[in-house]
Amino acid sequence: MALSPPAGEYHANYREDMTIFPSRNSRRALWVGILVLACTPLVCGRYELGLLINIGIMGIAALGLNILVGFTGQISIGHAAFFGFGAFMSAWLHDATHLPVAICIPLAGLGTALVGLVFGTPAARLKGLYLAIATLAAQFILEDFFARAQWFTGGTSGRITEPFALFGWIADREEKFFYVVLAYVILMFVAASNLLRTRDGRALVAVRDHYLSAEVMGINLAYYRTLSFGIASFYAGIAGALYAHYLLFVSVEAFNILFSIQFLGMVIIGGLGSVSGSLMGAAFMVLLPEVVQSAAAALAGGAIDRALRLGASISFLREMAIGAAIILFLIFEPDGLARRWRLIKAYWKLYPYSH
Amino acid sequence: MQLRRAMLGIAAAAIASGSALAQQKVTLGHLMDLSGATSDVGTPFSQGVNDSFAWLNGKGGVAGRQFNMLAVDYGYQAPRAVSQYQAWARDRVVGIMGWGTADTEALVKFVTRDKIPYVSGSYAATLTDAAGKSGRPGAEATGYNFFYGPSYSDALRAMLKWAADDWKAKGKPGRPKYVHMGGNHPYPNSPKEAGEAMAKELGFDVLPPIVFALTPGDYTAQCLTLKSQGANYAYLGNTAGSNISVLRACQTAGLDVQFLGNVWGMDENAMKAAGAAANGVVFPVRTAVVWGQAAPGMANVEAISKVSDPAGRAYRPVHYLAGVCASMLMAEAVETAIGKGGELTGERVRDGFYARQNWVPKGFEGVCNASNFTPEDHRGTLRVALYRAVVGGDTSNGTVQELMANGTMKLQPVATIELERKRELLGW
Amino acid sequence: MDWSLLLPLILNGLIVGALYGVVAMSFVLIYKASQVVNFAQGEFLLVGAWVCWWLLSEFHLPFWAGFLMTLAFMTLFGIILQVVVLRPLIGEPVISVIMATIGLGIFFQALMKWIFGVFAKPFPPIFPTDRVLILGLQIQTAYLLSLGISVLIMFGFAWFFTASKHGLAMRATAFDQQVAQSLGISVPRVFAMSWAISALVSAVAGVVVGIVNGVSSALSFYGIKVFPAVILGGLDSVVGAVLGGLIVGVLENLAQYVDAEWLHWGNMYTVAPFYALILILLIKPYGLFGTRAIERV
Repeated sequence: MALSPPAGEYHANYREDMTIFPSRNSRRALWVGILVLACTPLVCGRYELGLLINIGIMGIAALGLNILVGFTGQISIGHAAFFGFGAFMSAWLHDATHLPVAICIPLAGLGTALVGLVFGTPAARLKGLYLAIATLAAQFILEDFFARAQWFTGGTSGRITEPFALFGWIADREEKFFYVVLAYVILMFVAASNLLRTRDGRALVAVRDHYLSAEVMGINLAYYRTLSFGIASFYAGIAGALYAHYLLFVSVEAFNILFSIQFLGMVIIGGLGSVSGSLMGAAFMVLLPEVVQSAAAALAGGAIDRALRLGASISFLREMAIGAAIILFLIFEPDGLARRWRLIKAYWKLYPYSH
Repeated sequence: MQLRRAMLGIAAAAIASGSALAQQKVTLGHLMDLSGATSDVGTPFSQGVNDSFAWLNGKGGVAGRQFNMLAVDYGYQAPRAVSQYQAWARDRVVGIMGWGTADTEALVKFVTRDKIPYVSGSYAATLTDAAGKSGRPGAEATGYNFFYGPSYSDALRAMLKWAADDWKAKGKPGRPKYVHMGGNHPYPNSPKEAGEAMAKELGFDVLPPIVFALTPGDYTAQCLTLKSQGANYAYLGNTAGSNISVLRACQTAGLDVQFLGNVWGMDENAMKAAGAAANGVVFPVRTAVVWGQAAPGMANVEAISKVSDPAGRAYRPVHYLAGVCASMLMAEAVETAIGKGGELTGERVRDGFYARQNWVPKGFEGVCNASNFTPEDHRGTLRVALYRAVVGGDTSNGTVQELMANGTMKLQPVATIELERKRELLGW
Repeated sequence: MDWSLLLPLILNGLIVGALYGVVAMSFVLIYKASQVVNFAQGEFLLVGAWVCWWLLSEFHLPFWAGFLMTLAFMTLFGIILQVVVLRPLIGEPVISVIMATIGLGIFFQALMKWIFGVFAKPFPPIFPTDRVLILGLQIQTAYLLSLGISVLIMFGFAWFFTASKHGLAMRATAFDQQVAQSLGISVPRVFAMSWAISALVSAVAGVVVGIVNGVSSALSFYGIKVFPAVILGGLDSVVGAVLGGLIVGVLENLAQYVDAEWLHWGNMYTVAPFYALILILLIKPYGLFGTRAIERV
């Protein structure tokens, strides 16, 4: 394999066509990146690590949603409810059965996947807009269920969870939990990239692109649509479980409609149908409120602050920023950050030629 | 490490303006709700807290040390409060001025483990069982939780006692009917069990509870249900914002019910917003006087108010004064802890809460009521002062200040009920 | 069977349902004309209510002056929104358009909270008599006004779509954009007009709710309640929207009745419409009056 790919598409065999890394450099870049990330707890403070952990957790959930929305072409406005289900399930499993947290997390993912399949089966019959509305209703119904199911979720008071522990190593601080999240991020992202190289992954893409032709070719639409719901819920469940054991407290208030919309925003801003885009979109959504907060803090006490009452309205400014970011990205960069990143890479690679 | 910046930079600005002291600042956390479901009452309370500590800093702090307030608006979402707490616990705050019931109850385990005293805006009775020995099922030791004022349960018990006497005094026949109304949330649910048990004991017919959300909305259906059930006394468990919607809807439906509010359920702003619908609501007031009345300690309260209102024109609702009194409790506990010498830790501040009997913060006599905390019983006061909101006319013209001054709105004292400090009523 | 509770609840349901019907009509209007699902419908109510409240409270205008100014503002608002946000998104996949309207909803909800605060503010008194007694139920005069306006709007829409040039142009565009364009109908103008009318009508609903309950961010929840109504009635049927709204209103109150009498759960009022929505989507996804989209393989 060459160090960097030649201009144009030139694949000599099937293996080359299917590879994730088109060149040795890109493979090395990934290893270097992982190494750098593994060293961040030694360098960064707790606050930055907390942000990175959040990006990782949201990235996993966004990736699940991207598989559903970007790769299969369906819509889900209820992703936060599945995220919450994973969180509650992991917490409840640990409390009820005293299984170690390390086992509860994957089990919570599987449980959420089952719930996702249950919701996916009727959803497979609906298309586009109707599906969006159905998932919106599912979000409210699940939220209501969480608020009422005292035995499972602790009702409206919420439930305290235990930190992640493995053979005596307790990940109750950001420095340690970072590695747990990093491991899961790598695992889930590699799994998603590989999924799209398999027959099932290609079937999902076919369902998105032209479902009639896909059905003509023998792809069972209902099966694959339901499967994609299941996979998305699995990812959401794992992410939710990680969230529960990071925060050490879960309550239904966190999993509201705004959270669902934030996941959709991550997917769209990152780029529909792009695995790395999910992480970029998650990073954007997590860092946006921090930027707004810093900007407001920088302006605090000044004339602008007094005129616009910035200090007291920081949460509104945050929400406005989220809404505005979604709209602006849709208008100016509809293919998301992933495409912008591809264009930047292409610019560097092909300079001074434009293409 | 990066400390979270103060949201309302008043305290920071006040400190920065003149302190030449090289002494270590006392770091306190402050959780506020300025944008969430209880922000209508959270805003004045947190204003009172922020102004109080800024005022203390302006006077040089306590025992020569100033306060470093880390104030954060968590929007009444418990997970955000918990995440903020975890950041503070490692920043070594020695105390936290908290707010809501859901997050305070969630943080009980954490503050007990990390030994950080927590003065909350939540008056849930479960926070009073300091040693966890009350014998109630699921009782947790809340040795580090305090609040200024009667608990929701004790306030409701006092109101029910008054209601029973009121029914007899009006000479009405038969058993009065009582119903608990509130959102499905820890804060309104907190006194439900205690209230219904007390009501049964006093001879009320307890009707099934009615749910209405913490947000304003259309509650005609709930009012119609209330009317058809024939309730005589209804407890409103939510904050003023949604209670107003219920009061208006029920006024429209033509109900004849005596509404009993909680401490957050009615105030001067709510009286103005609800107008005649708020007339007659009975609710507890945590301070001995309200804004504008004379008391020896009122001068200090007015000085505190001037921190954020230099012109002295703002009307401070009951929650502002309660915030001032709560802050003074924390401040004097810190002072006691510093006075004992040695390193200032959360545990020592907690001990500072036990140092005084019949505790009225210095300089606030006549405003703040007396509190008594013991290592087993954190029920600060069992004396509940009941007031009635009286609204005489149209409240849409004029500020709260003007309406209170010209008598259109009045807070009329009704009764002061002194409950017995019964051991079996601790913690619920 | 507690008739003394059931009848007022049903009546209340019809009255509130008429409002849902008005909002549902505005929603369907946008969908019919431009195939856009407007997740920000509730925010139209909110903006309209706040603007009217502000005009009445700040400038002490008489109600009719403030109301008409609000309507003019909302017409402009709808047009600007369509031109700035929705026009660049013509032809994009449906998920993008949905996300754009969701983003608009979030933005305007937060903007209103920023400008006007979080407390519910009451309207200044407008009518000489606050309530009227009908069939044993005290009804706010504002609700009667809304009932009257709803009926007027329904007839107005009916006339508009069958007899007026612009209404026919809108129906033509909804049916087949290409053909409409080739006949000389300005499709962008039709879109802008549909958004303008929708914003206007929603503002009326918002003002009515504001008069009764006070203006607060709870108004945007009407935009969520509209979904059960339009799904029940059919996404592209105006008559269906009205009926759907009425049915949802009555359903809510019936659920409250069942809850109060037997279940005692306390949450049926808010959550019953969503259960109904899921049920309808499974059984009859095109609603009572919607056009069945025929798929040919």
